[in-house]
Amino acid sequence: MKKFSEKEKKVLIVGIDGVPYSLLNAYIKKDVMPNLKKILSQGFRLHQMNASIPDISSVSWTSFNTGVNPGEHGIYGFTDLKPDSYSLSFPNLGDVKAPPFWDILGKKNRKTSTLFQTYYPRIAHPYRSIIFNVPHTYPASSMNGILISGFVAIDLKKAIFPESVYPYLRSINYLIDVEAEKAREDKGTFMQNLFECLEIRKKAISHFFEEESWDLLFACITESDRLHHFFFDASEDEENPYYESFLRFYVELDKFVKDLYDQFIQRWGEEGFFMILSDHGFAPVKKEVYLNRFLEEKGFLVLKKDGNFYERIEEGTKAFDMDPGRIYLHDQDRYPRGAVTKEERLNLLKEIKEAIGSLKGDSGEKVIEKIYEKEEIYHGPYSLVAPDLVCLPKDGYDLKGSLEKKEIFGQNIFTGMHTWHDAFCLLPEKITFSEKPFIQNLTEYILQYFTPSPFPSPRWGEGGGEGK
Amino acid sequence: MDHLTRLENKSIYIIREAYYQFKDIAMLWSVGKDSTTLLWLCRKAFFGHVPFPIIHIDTSYKFPEMYRFRDERAKEWNLRLLIGRNEGKLEEGMGPGQGSKLDCCNELKTNALKMVIKKYNLKAILLGIRRDEHGIRAKERYFSPRDSQFKWDYENQPAELWDQYQSMVEEEEHFRIHPILHFTELDVWSYVKREGLPIVPLYFSKEGKRFRSIGCVPCCSPIDSNAQTIDEIVEEIRTSKTSERAGRAQDKENIYTMQKLRALGYM
Repeated sequence: MKKFSEKEKKVLIVGIDGVPYSLLNAYIKKDVMPNLKKILSQGFRLHQMNASIPDISSVSWTSFNTGVNPGEHGIYGFTDLKPDSYSLSFPNLGDVKAPPFWDILGKKNRKTSTLFQTYYPRIAHPYRSIIFNVPHTYPASSMNGILISGFVAIDLKKAIFPESVYPYLRSINYLIDVEAEKAREDKGTFMQNLFECLEIRKKAISHFFEEESWDLLFACITESDRLHHFFFDASEDEENPYYESFLRFYVELDKFVKDLYDQFIQRWGEEGFFMILSDHGFAPVKKEVYLNRFLEEKGFLVLKKDGNFYERIEEGTKAFDMDPGRIYLHDQDRYPRGAVTKEERLNLLKEIKEAIGSLKGDSGEKVIEKIYEKEEIYHGPYSLVAPDLVCLPKDGYDLKGSLEKKEIFGQNIFTGMHTWHDAFCLLPEKITFSEKPFIQNLTEYILQYFTPSPFPSPRWGEGGGEGK
Repeated sequence: MDHLTRLENKSIYIIREAYYQFKDIAMLWSVGKDSTTLLWLCRKAFFGHVPFPIIHIDTSYKFPEMYRFRDERAKEWNLRLLIGRNEGKLEEGMGPGQGSKLDCCNELKTNALKMVIKKYNLKAILLGIRRDEHGIRAKERYFSPRDSQFKWDYENQPAELWDQYQSMVEEEEHFRIHPILHFTELDVWSYVKREGLPIVPLYFSKEGKRFRSIGCVPCCSPIDSNAQTIDEIVEEIRTSKTSERAGRAQDKENIYTMQKLRALGYM
């Protein structure tokens, strides 16, 4: 086994899925999170951060893991359509086209990316990582270290690398995920399950922290995202029956982060690189917005009565939406019943943008914040398969790709929705940004930390480098 | 000796050996083609009369054709049939529409089997799993002991029943015996043909669709196929690009993935 010495480079990353900057900030001010406040006084800074577009965990974490945009890593959501068909597919780790940072650090030369090309040659020797419960890392593949896959992992035996970690996980009755299906039946019990799941997560993280050797440990807590989906209305409402549980969850998080931080500093002092981040923010839901219903009403989408999901798309269809606000044109040369010719694309895009952009809520307010064309936000070989348009809603309007709805607006049991603009990161204060940081740009700091000399510009350790 | 006879001899040897070793033994019969093949081999091993009970785990959601087939064969072959049902959960209304499908499988299949094993104090179970069915079965053994110490013994790794994910069968101390482990899907169909074995009609094409594997109605979907005879099925499998294993395992994962995503408001 490798022996630790104080001079070695060590990175500890804590991911907290779906924690918004603004809520965290409020809770720090309210003293719900005194330990985080203390950490911030010890040379760290809290930043508001932009998530990936769309602001979905699989896309955002993959952008962080690979340090490149979806045009390079190829992941745009939890669902896609199989090429030349209307059947759903569920992209997983195997579909990520760019290597994650742990493969660059581990000197695994399998996939390539712009970041890989810059950093792979500059990493002197293989570093060992432990990657724990990070979404979109299933099924676990071989790597230099340990990988325990997160959401959407199904079979625990396929969610681990190497197999030797199985007995330990089995012995603590490890859970891949809390069963969100149960929230519908009994919210109280579901809340309890969240805490139980958080306990298991904490236990496992502490185990790997203490019992394994590593150069980088990246551990994710995902119960926060589930908490927010079902209980976000309780976050700042003292009258809400779940208010206290909600706060208690954050108090627990605060304690756990402190324990990890203290241990980390104790062992590796100032040499270590400690960071915390979320993959998107959360806001209260006012209404769910069913874009496919809207497209249907405007005549852009024609659906058959029966069939599974997108198999219902009929010949006259010009465009359809996939979760959350990914609009695809029904191209002639891409889909079996495709109807859109190359010539009409530009006009159609304009038309759809105008239509969706003019969507108004109950009191006449705008529903859509911004609509991007794919060329504006995606760059790289896999922007070819990107959605043609991506809609970002105003906070409160949760865009959904459901094909079953009869109305454009609706309500569900969810009280929280993802936000793009309100993720957070907590970084050493020597990292500064000239503009709002963006999740995929953090990755480079990690890689740079492991290089012998900062390049191309001294961003790390030179007191106030420039963020991208 | 031809290929199928060799396979048959090996299976019969294992079945006889198992019965000799364990008197408290039973066979698990799902009524599907694999376990029906195993049942046929058990009959052959004991010259027509199976000396141990046959367990059918009844979730109450099986196809009517399956119940009919089960009862006809049980009568015709004079089987001692033990029906395992998780009555408690069924009364509570457990089903694939209620809560998660995972819970449904766990309660109505896994726990129902546990109850049967306990009730009849069984020491060994004969199962019709095949090595080519699922990746995880590649290292499976014919006689697979279950460790009471929770130890990960890779060489002796027990199968996951019905590809159960996440939840595992409690580590009871019993043996699982897999007499047709060495059969492939194609072998099974060739053997069914050679022996003239009766088989649930769901496997044959009706209106362009047939089932490649059968189970509970809500969780089974047919494949596109025009194979209406065993010869046509054999030919279809011989030329098929998608393996039964890949399809089944992936379908199941997709169902769970979809369910997880929907629980969080996607799709």
